Amino acid sequence: MSEGSVVAAALEAPVAIVPSDDDVLISVRNVVKYFDIKGGLLGTSSVGAVRAVDGVSFDVRRGETLGLVGESGCGKTTLGKVILRLLPPTSGEVVFKGERIFDVPTAAERKAGKKSFQASNAKMKTIRRDLQVVFQDPYASLNPRMSVGEIIGEGPMVHGLSNKTKREALVRELLGKVGLNQSHIHRYPHEFSGGQRQRIGIARALAVNPDFIVCDEPVSALDVSIQSQVLNLLDDLQKEFGLTYLFIAHNLAVVEHISDRVGVMYLGKLVELADVDELYTNPRHPYTVALLSAIPNPNPRVRKKRLVLKGDIPSPAAPPSGCRFHTRCWLRERLGNPERCAAEEPEFRDVAPGHQSACHFAEEMTNMADEVAAAIGLADQARLASTSAVVAPPAPVSPPTPPTAPPA
Amino acid sequence: MTSTRPAVEARPAPRGENLLEIRGLRTHFFTQDGTVKAVDGVSLEIKYGQTLGVVGESGCGKSITALSVMRLIERPGRTVAGEVLLDGRNLLDLTDEDMSEVRGNAISMVFQEPMTSLNPVFTCGDQIAEAVALHKNVSRGEAWDRAVEMLQHVGIADAERRAKSYPHQLSGGMRQRVMIAMALSTNPELLIADEPTTALDVTIQAQILELMKSLREQNKMAIMLITHDLGVVAEMADEVAVMYAGKVVERADVDTVYEQPHHPYTQGLLASIPRLGEKRDRLEVIRGVVPNPLNLPAGCLFKRRCPFAMPICDNPPPLRDVTAGITPVGASRHLSRCWLTPSGGLPEVGVEPTPEAAAESAAALTVE
Repeated sequence: MSEGSVVAAALEAPVAIVPSDDDVLISVRNVVKYFDIKGGLLGTSSVGAVRAVDGVSFDVRRGETLGLVGESGCGKTTLGKVILRLLPPTSGEVVFKGERIFDVPTAAERKAGKKSFQASNAKMKTIRRDLQVVFQDPYASLNPRMSVGEIIGEGPMVHGLSNKTKREALVRELLGKVGLNQSHIHRYPHEFSGGQRQRIGIARALAVNPDFIVCDEPVSALDVSIQSQVLNLLDDLQKEFGLTYLFIAHNLAVVEHISDRVGVMYLGKLVELADVDELYTNPRHPYTVALLSAIPNPNPRVRKKRLVLKGDIPSPAAPPSGCRFHTRCWLRERLGNPERCAAEEPEFRDVAPGHQSACHFAEEMTNMADEVAAAIGLADQARLASTSAVVAPPAPVSPPTPPTAPPA
Repeated sequence: MTSTRPAVEARPAPRGENLLEIRGLRTHFFTQDGTVKAVDGVSLEIKYGQTLGVVGESGCGKSITALSVMRLIERPGRTVAGEVLLDGRNLLDLTDEDMSEVRGNAISMVFQEPMTSLNPVFTCGDQIAEAVALHKNVSRGEAWDRAVEMLQHVGIADAERRAKSYPHQLSGGMRQRVMIAMALSTNPELLIADEPTTALDVTIQAQILELMKSLREQNKMAIMLITHDLGVVAEMADEVAVMYAGKVVERADVDTVYEQPHHPYTQGLLASIPRLGEKRDRLEVIRGVVPNPLNLPAGCLFKRRCPFAMPICDNPPPLRDVTAGITPVGASRHLSRCWLTPSGGLPEVGVEPTPEAAAESAAALTVE
């Protein structure tokens, strides 16, 4: 790769891309990641495994944002790291732009003679140019001993942009793109606020002109007023560079705002996946309903008939049998605790066009539409919208023209 | 006692409308780099049995306000001015012994981090029993029974066994329940909850919020709820105070704050959060960042980020009544620290403030 083309590629105006079903950028198949629990006399033998990710499959289409939500410990971050091969997978396959990143067979498949495949390190280096990541903690993810210019320029340098002047020009360009002052190129991370650091992290990911960025909780560490700045920036950059995002977060409102499609994870499994509007208005998994019901609505007049889940999330080292959600499931209780939930693992299947759910009784939920709407506050929002007594949420702040020039 | 609901002791008849009144509280930190005015002239009231939500971003002084009420400020910080009246008694004048009697007895506090707030070397039951024994004249056995009863009360199954557990053996949600059990074991009149659900997952947060609601109902206690989550405040609070850079910038009942916010900062905050079920193309943003506490701007602290900034903003605005229409009996007034007129329009003053406005702003700066 010549130096010039990196700069040219990084600065090239991209073409807007319309996602379609045939245009899969990254395909994730049955990805499993177990972490061994060491024990025994010497602490070296394996006494069990934390099943962080346990058979997850989905496709991300070119140009879209796939949101991934779930509570802590559900495996969403581990899944992101395995896809990027920052963690070795236990089994499963990931194909990026038609090239296999890894294809590791399960024990049974290995017995049947299937060979394990891992892209070579040299190959990974070229793939990683297209596959970047923005981390959650803007304090821990930037090297405090490197200047902003060095942090952002490191990727292009590794990928062959050795000319220092050109690199600096690229870094300055990127700083402008993420809304930072270009003269800050020689400053160090501690001189920046959390929101600014997250912008540096985003510029670092953009520096090698990737197609796909895994955003792992990019705004959870930021204050509310800074969160919206970073979300808008991610939105702008996606449009400008035709980026595809895997957006991992626990905040359902943030995920709704930024995503085209959303997947919900629980205890290492994907339990529901659908277009964002469909998922938030017509959820077909009881866990999704409970999550939506649990969020406090920033409108004091909206009253939800909240479904409070009992107990805590079970340990991923010893997940419940059958459906992993059955120990806390309100729907199972409503249906008279059917045996099937505890005995049989539900299949992750299509319940409507483009809408997948892993609940034995997903079809039954269509009969409870009113109850679900009440639980997630949709019924009340509709009622409020129809009564004139309620004032709409505050209009966007639009400043009138001040009578005199504002202070500098 | 057999009931899971502890008996509510008879409370003395309220002397006024307000359980807690904070007047002109100033807590400053005297650091090597200069004085940080973490809390600078905060006045708040909490009525009997009501919940006041204190909202603001990190560093706005909401936690320091709570710690000042509890008199838990450590060097280099010091409360330099103001009054904290609990039932008309100024807590800042009390001796240390009297204050420790108030702390944990009349006022209890729940902190954000349940792991770091619990002592890892004692069982949960012992820690609650210790709090009971400190404040009530009871035997050790009675204190332990009370601890188990409180654990049942906050919805911990198998409380007898859980009381013998150490904090590390419990999940985050359970630990926060233990913290709440401890805080409520002495039946306080006021519970200060500092980000009680921030470290928890949403389904666990929902459990704790529902628990706090039912306990508030049963114990008839007032709550000062400190949080940055506008959703939690909307759900829990009767009254809301919005803080920015050490000052209260807006105060009203919860519906008014959410539906007719007056201060541009409150408007910006409400417009910048993504809301479930309301998909927008772009989020509104508040430009810029919170000012450096060592180098606050003169005049209005929000002016550098404010879309309405005008010359008069170089003078500090007072916290003024901007109540629209008639205030219903018993409801609080709508206060805002902004030069905009009550209807949100631009004030009819030129480059210089009117003499009355200047006098008002000077009055706002002086310690009450």
